[in-house]
Amino acid sequence: MAELLLDPHIRFWVFLPIVVITFLVGIVRHYVSIILSSQKKIELLQVQDSQVMIRARLLRENGKYLPRQSFAMRRHWFNNEETGYFKVQKRAAASQNPMTDPGMMTDMLKGNVTNVLPMIVIGGWINWMFSGFLTTKVPFPLTLRFKPMLQRGVELAYLDASWVSSASWYFLNVFGLRTIYALVLGENNAADQSKVMQEQMSGAAMAMPPDPKAAFKAEWEALEITEHKWALSNVESDLLSITEDKN
Amino acid sequence: MTLFDKIVSRELTQNEAIDLLRQWRENNERKSNEIAMIHMFYDIYSGKISANERLMLKEQLIFASLDVHDLLTEFQIDFLLQEFPASMRVMRYKAMVREAKEKYDEALEILDYIIKADETNAPARKRRIAIFKAQGQITEAIKELVDYLKKFMSDVEGWQQLCELYLSVGELQRAVFCAEEMLLHQPHCHFHHQRVADIRYTMGGVENMELAKSYYCQALKLNPENMRATLGLFLTTTNLLNHYKSSGNSAKRKEAWKLSQWTQTKAAKRTATKKIKLTKMLLNLAITE
Repeated sequence: MAELLLDPHIRFWVFLPIVVITFLVGIVRHYVSIILSSQKKIELLQVQDSQVMIRARLLRENGKYLPRQSFAMRRHWFNNEETGYFKVQKRAAASQNPMTDPGMMTDMLKGNVTNVLPMIVIGGWINWMFSGFLTTKVPFPLTLRFKPMLQRGVELAYLDASWVSSASWYFLNVFGLRTIYALVLGENNAADQSKVMQEQMSGAAMAMPPDPKAAFKAEWEALEITEHKWALSNVESDLLSITEDKN
Repeated sequence: MTLFDKIVSRELTQNEAIDLLRQWRENNERKSNEIAMIHMFYDIYSGKISANERLMLKEQLIFASLDVHDLLTEFQIDFLLQEFPASMRVMRYKAMVREAKEKYDEALEILDYIIKADETNAPARKRRIAIFKAQGQITEAIKELVDYLKKFMSDVEGWQQLCELYLSVGELQRAVFCAEEMLLHQPHCHFHHQRVADIRYTMGGVENMELAKSYYCQALKLNPENMRATLGLFLTTTNLLNHYKSSGNSAKRKEAWKLSQWTQTKAAKRTATKKIKLTKMLLNLAITE
């Protein structure tokens, strides 16, 4: 197959502009999301619930370091039928429909405005504006399987797979600029679009507020079946044997 | 030459000073004297630091100067307050300055305002308790702290403070509960094991002695260099030996005797080169009938 030559103008008018545009859009996105982001107000009850859960879990995991009586006393405090914490505390079940919560709605809208909208608009615009260009070539041979990934928009059956089309170059940039953003904007910036994509791929894993009622019940069950096993029953002989080994 | 002398004689470069401060911040080192001195002798704010770090440096300075009782920092806080008028964090510093000046009522007023605005502000609640403690109202402090711990149950420092408060009023049974709570949160810290053992030993009785023995052993297993635990183990085993001598539980007596011997050889090794023999001191300390 004859060697392909690219017009040098493609470098200045397609290749570099796509890099610059994706980069700048990321920066803008970062600052827009900072402006739009609202400090989530945590409620005291939520804090309390989460701390109780931590304490109950620790009792399950590390309860073996306590004498049996101390362990039983704590479990009784959590699990007792009449006065146990998990039995007494009544929490309203989490609202089933996030649409009923206006705070949730605005959060979702903000997320969409900063994440999904630019993705669609900029991606669509680049697809339309720069469609049909080959922009660059990766410096190694690739198999045919890579063609749909690297040559989106250029459907030529006999083209070598290592050529990269403009639309694919845009996507490569979206995913590849992450480290550059980390350099420019610092860690945990909001510019990274690939994170958004991953979130969308994971589909229904939307951040639902944890349901304290269900969590309490699960923890109650787990604690109920926990057996106390005194971890220090052999510690004296252990200590002596360790030091004897050394001597 | 100590680090402190180095700071005072201006032997560090500006960047070294900034790095030192950064290092202390990251490791949570208090070093208040040194920090205050660095701020006095070096012009660190003209160095190459980001706006974020500038604020962190200011916070570090405020805490340090409160520690060394340099109350001139109040104007620093006022500057910060102008920059962030609604910041709870800066308001807390203001309360802390009032506290350092022993104007406890004013400090409480500010703290109450913060807590009212943000119920989940744990540091402000803790400062309230600290004020009660500073005033010597231990029972009040205990009441507040218990209330706090009902809401923030996995706060190890809170439990530790409550443990100390209970110890200071002699409520050993409750103190041991707090110490056990700390143990649950950090079971690999030998200090926590040692603390539980200390309290159990103080409480007395065969059952508590047995527990104290186990916890001292665990502390020594986690850190063989823990001298306090070695001493504690010796005292506990001597006590137990006395008890078993009369009741005649041979297996347990044998074990206690072994452990007692073990602590003595350990103490002897530790002080082999010194004139004073630790073993002798141990034996003198032991309560024998």
